[in-house]
Amino acid sequence: MSELSTQLATALPLDAGPGPEWVKTLRDSGAAHFRTHGLPTRKDEAWKYTGLGLLDQAEMQLATVTETRVSGSLNPSPLVEANVHVNMLNGLKTGQNGTMPTGLTVLSLADALSTGISGLQTLLESLPMDNSSDGFTALNTATLESGVVIHVAAGTDAGRLLINWTSEATPAPLLSNTRLCVFLEQDAKLELLEQFESSNGNTNTCNIVLQANLATNSSLQHIRFQQESKQAVLITRTEVSQQADSEYAYYGFDLGGGLVRHDLHTALRGSGARSCLSGAYLLDGNRHVDNHARVDHMAPNGFSDQYFRGVAGGAGKAVFNTAVCVHPGADETEARQSNANILLSTRAEVDTKPELEIYADEVIASHGATVGQLDELAVFYLRSRGLSESQARQLLTTAFCRSVSDKLADPVLAEVISQRMMDVMPQAD
Amino acid sequence: MLKITNLHAKVAGKEILKGLSLDLQAGEVHAIMGPNGAGKSTLGNVLAGREGYEVTQGEVIFNGKNLLELEPEERACEGVFLAFQYPVEIPGVNNTYFLRAALNAQRKYRGEDPLDSVSFLRLVREKLKVLHIGDELLHRAVNEGFSGGEKKRNEIFQMAVLEPSLAILDETDSGLDIDALKTVAEGVNRLRSKDRGMIVVTHYQRLLDYIVPDKVHVLADGKLVATGGADLALKLEEQGYAWLDDGGIKPLNIELAGQTLNP
Repeated sequence: MSELSTQLATALPLDAGPGPEWVKTLRDSGAAHFRTHGLPTRKDEAWKYTGLGLLDQAEMQLATVTETRVSGSLNPSPLVEANVHVNMLNGLKTGQNGTMPTGLTVLSLADALSTGISGLQTLLESLPMDNSSDGFTALNTATLESGVVIHVAAGTDAGRLLINWTSEATPAPLLSNTRLCVFLEQDAKLELLEQFESSNGNTNTCNIVLQANLATNSSLQHIRFQQESKQAVLITRTEVSQQADSEYAYYGFDLGGGLVRHDLHTALRGSGARSCLSGAYLLDGNRHVDNHARVDHMAPNGFSDQYFRGVAGGAGKAVFNTAVCVHPGADETEARQSNANILLSTRAEVDTKPELEIYADEVIASHGATVGQLDELAVFYLRSRGLSESQARQLLTTAFCRSVSDKLADPVLAEVISQRMMDVMPQAD
Repeated sequence: MLKITNLHAKVAGKEILKGLSLDLQAGEVHAIMGPNGAGKSTLGNVLAGREGYEVTQGEVIFNGKNLLELEPEERACEGVFLAFQYPVEIPGVNNTYFLRAALNAQRKYRGEDPLDSVSFLRLVREKLKVLHIGDELLHRAVNEGFSGGEKKRNEIFQMAVLEPSLAILDETDSGLDIDALKTVAEGVNRLRSKDRGMIVVTHYQRLLDYIVPDKVHVLADGKLVATGGADLALKLEEQGYAWLDDGGIKPLNIELAGQTLNP
């Protein structure tokens, strides 16, 4: 184990914390896993292209719920209005406001654990932690306490819920662990917008696990927009379980962060489930963004589409690994994967790897991955109308990423995000 | 307005223009005709400043300025507009957004205030009306999924909004059916003015039935080999370009209204 892993393992609390017995058992299993394996390293296949150098800071402390953490001076404005705003500061829920629609329940994880919410135990216990490289999940489980539970009752359209994640620099760098649990009952609908921003110079690490259970014919629109500081570390894992005819749509926008790793996994367990995963990542400086996406088709007539676009300038590095597995019996599945990247600099790097495994019949599958440069003829076309070369390049790279934001159902949000992308669009060397 | 003298240009190391000279006055429309491979499109691209088109000799003076020293965007801001033979599809860039950015870039160059979106839309709707073009074009990405005719109409529309002083139409008729051709030609005719010069590059005479030029030039093997009035185009239609191969430059049975520029 690395020095950092040992340091963190030592920092893990010895007693299993508050809550019912099963939670303590769960925390113990996470702690045991972490003490054995520690954090993943480049020797783990899933982490081959992503090192944890930025995370490895002396004095790194594990955040605990009881301590006072920050001044709370950072107050970023939300991208768009939402019915309900949940505010998180350095991984800890600090409050919520807005009008709660009937049928929507939002609780802190601690409250949900003490009062007991139906299905919560099953959901929390279902999170796989089988691989030696699941160190972040193990750490998250070992310290399971901070988080939010969202429940949408059957037939309810809960509208938009915004989780405002802010990170502020602390005297000693902090690693926080947070769990989000989302339950959508039958025919329920929710738009979950996560917005991540941090103060300048913030070097903290957020380790967030989101688990979502989508009942029959429910729909979760999940938008994740992050513009963290250049030194911030963001490790997220999203685990979605989908019943028949449910829909999960993910839209990820990575505009910031020094080291970002996102593991996105959805399992289509009921027939006719649909899953559309899309994302845009913009890299400059020495920033590193690693997206790992996996779709498991486990029932017939499923549909999945993965659509990711990346622009890398400077010495930025992007990793994109996407896997689709069509299991036996998941006949008449349609699965698409598309990943395209633009390199703006000779020092930038993109590692893209689409994978496809099919064990069923009558499957339509397509996949493609490209890494290229801007179309010079398009640059000339725009310049021939009066745009400067840098304007032309900025417009084209933004347009390239806009193909992701344009997928959003709300044109206002699409426009706001597209403008934000344009503002930080990396320039050619 | 535009004076091209002894222009030589290479593309991918191959000499395409071999001493082309042309004098265009404001208010005039000149047609340049010629067989495939004569250098017609190269001329438009050289004037617009496309990379990879290397000028090895000669000069181009546009409104007193050395055009060849300017960047493509500076040429555009000085009033040069190339209607592309193959307009480029740009997914994700909204046509209206792009055109406003272009117009405002040109206005900034001329020291004028940018147009806000309301005044811009007013201007754009006016132009669409004059050109008899529907406004669905405004909401789409630049040329994306456009038919051949729509692409060419979009070029003319851009030209109408940007109001260049020199317009070069590169085979604007190629790939158009007769109705689309008429619409495009009508658009061009509406933009004819005493302050604007136009160069219409075409392989076929039929476009010139609708856009009647003041002068017709024949471009062959990188040079203008004949110049005449609008009737020269008709004779070319009758006789084709085959006579060019008969030792090159002396046209058979063609009376020259002007003079051969490069005898």
